[in-house]
Amino acid sequence: MRVHGNGAVRGIAVVAALTLLLGVARFAEGHAILKESSPAANATVTGPDIPIHLKFNSRVDAMRSKIQLLRPDNRVTDLSLEKQTAPDTLTSKATGLAAGEYKIQWQVLAPDGHITRGIVPFTVKGA
Amino acid sequence: MAELLGIFGFLVVLARAAILCLQTIVAGGAIFLTLVARNESLRPEELTRPAWKLIRWCAAGLALSELSFLMINALVLRSSTGISYADVLGANFAIACLVAIAASVAIMFWPESLRNSTNAIVLLPALLAVASSVVTSHSFSRMDDRAVLIGLTSLHYLATASWIGGLPYLLLALKRVTNLEARTKISQRFSLLGQISVGVLFLAGLGMSLAFVGSWNALYGTAYGIMVGTKIVLFGCLLLLGAANYYIVKGAGANLTAMNFTSLIRFGEVEIGIGLAVILAAASLTSQPPGADLAEDRVSLHEIAVRYAPRAPQLTSPPLADLSPSGKEMRRKAVAAGIKVPAAFLPGQAFWHPDTPGDIAWSEYNHNWAGLIVLAMGLLALLSRNRHFAWAKIWPLMFLGLAVFLFLRADPENWPLGPNGFWESFRETDVLQHRAAVLLIIVFAIFQWAVETNRVKSHAAALVFPAVCAIGGVVLLTHMHAVTNIKQEMLIELSHTPLAIFGILAGWSRWLELRLPAENNVRKYLAWVWPVCFIFVGLILMDYHEA
Repeated sequence: MRVHGNGAVRGIAVVAALTLLLGVARFAEGHAILKESSPAANATVTGPDIPIHLKFNSRVDAMRSKIQLLRPDNRVTDLSLEKQTAPDTLTSKATGLAAGEYKIQWQVLAPDGHITRGIVPFTVKGA
Repeated sequence: MAELLGIFGFLVVLARAAILCLQTIVAGGAIFLTLVARNESLRPEELTRPAWKLIRWCAAGLALSELSFLMINALVLRSSTGISYADVLGANFAIACLVAIAASVAIMFWPESLRNSTNAIVLLPALLAVASSVVTSHSFSRMDDRAVLIGLTSLHYLATASWIGGLPYLLLALKRVTNLEARTKISQRFSLLGQISVGVLFLAGLGMSLAFVGSWNALYGTAYGIMVGTKIVLFGCLLLLGAANYYIVKGAGANLTAMNFTSLIRFGEVEIGIGLAVILAAASLTSQPPGADLAEDRVSLHEIAVRYAPRAPQLTSPPLADLSPSGKEMRRKAVAAGIKVPAAFLPGQAFWHPDTPGDIAWSEYNHNWAGLIVLAMGLLALLSRNRHFAWAKIWPLMFLGLAVFLFLRADPENWPLGPNGFWESFRETDVLQHRAAVLLIIVFAIFQWAVETNRVKSHAAALVFPAVCAIGGVVLLTHMHAVTNIKQEMLIELSHTPLAIFGILAGWSRWLELRLPAENNVRKYLAWVWPVCFIFVGLILMDYHEA
């Protein structure tokens, strides 16, 4: 059977394009991933002051990224970011931490506009 | 704002996919008119008018897509970091979006006097739009070899625009230009541009793969590597089509016949379709961490061999009670109960949890039965190619069973099996996708059965089947990727990728079988290709297992 009709092809092309756009919904993933951290995930460190150092696999926009500390009592504190020592690194400092289990919650913006989040759990033991 | 976060990934990807496709067609148009149809004699009004209409519409779409991408990200950034909109607009991606919007608007309102001249200045805004994508790519974010990688990415994007983006304009020229000599000249020039673009694409792609994949293990052991591999396979298909076009143009010399032109157009349609699949695969790459960066939890060849060693299909279903709630369901219940849940790795993304034996058995049963149905369909379709087995033309009706199966079993926590109501279930993007797939399968089954049995003689209806196959393949290709290397998900993805490729091949081989001129002998071989693709899909699904 031969098929003609450019209108039909155009119609199918439009439906195809729309369906494809809806179908690709799940491929949006951030691509800035954490390569190294200090404290390391699940590490036990000595308090009360903990320097925080996060190194990613790509450049991150420090001005538009953030680090928070989730405390043992579930309070969340915003930590101020220090001046970037390298474009792929974020540094900060948590001070006055009592013994307990904490989590660093990070959110970074990569240059391509992708936002990625992650968590680094760690434990503080008394000085 | 919580709802916006929930659909963040969905909206961003809609915009991102649209940006890449539209940018390719806009830049492809500018390059085509500047390099291929660069003489006055090669750009009659019957070509320039529809070509500029396509360029301007795509530029409008590009501007809107860029604006959407900018607005969504700005809203999410503002709400999650508390920075001002002015600060958001200073971000690299925001500047890139604004530049692309300005370039697109300039193209939309390009002066008529310049549109009709051979002036190459239109390349400037087109190149700016491409550059805005380069500065939001992996290369721009890298710490090492950044300048080289930016150069390779730029070449890769430009070659894609020249070849894939130029194809719609080649088709327009072949259909609209009445002067035979001009049509032949345009075909020959585009063929040359295509060959150069293929070489550049290959070399730039190779260079980027070495940097971003880095090792054989990352090629099959990471999501990024698998997508690169898929791009290579589809690129091979495009090369075959390009070669077919090359030999048509070269073989005919200056005497291209109507049959030659029609064949060029038909192969060009398929090149555009597969090219779109490659661009969407590329869009998926830009949003994943490079395989070279994911050193942990890669899948080994041994694990792949063990997982996919042939074994009997699972044809008995576990009880519904054996299933664990999905990650999103767990999150929703936890939030409703006031339990603090960990933040997702991407705004709105659910957290992953290991499947229970019940989940695995459920999924294997679904895939294996679906495989049996597809295998039967493929065998019947193959038989129906022979005139002695005309009754086998009922093969499309096998898909109705598949639709019912998918509807009932794909999302067990939702209506009709699970507690979530019918309308409530549509809030989940993956459920929405599954329901859309069910509708597509039903449409496909009915239309194709009617077409096969000559109940419907509409030409459009005949094209539904190949379009659905090709779309289904691309959707599957881009359906599931993990931001980190979760081994179980990777192993599943490894089985889905060949399914996607066979789906795309089946769709486009059928498309060509229907669309090529009767005199083109390639048609009779293609008639056997797509049923064989379905047989392979059936066999892969029957051997699918998750443990």
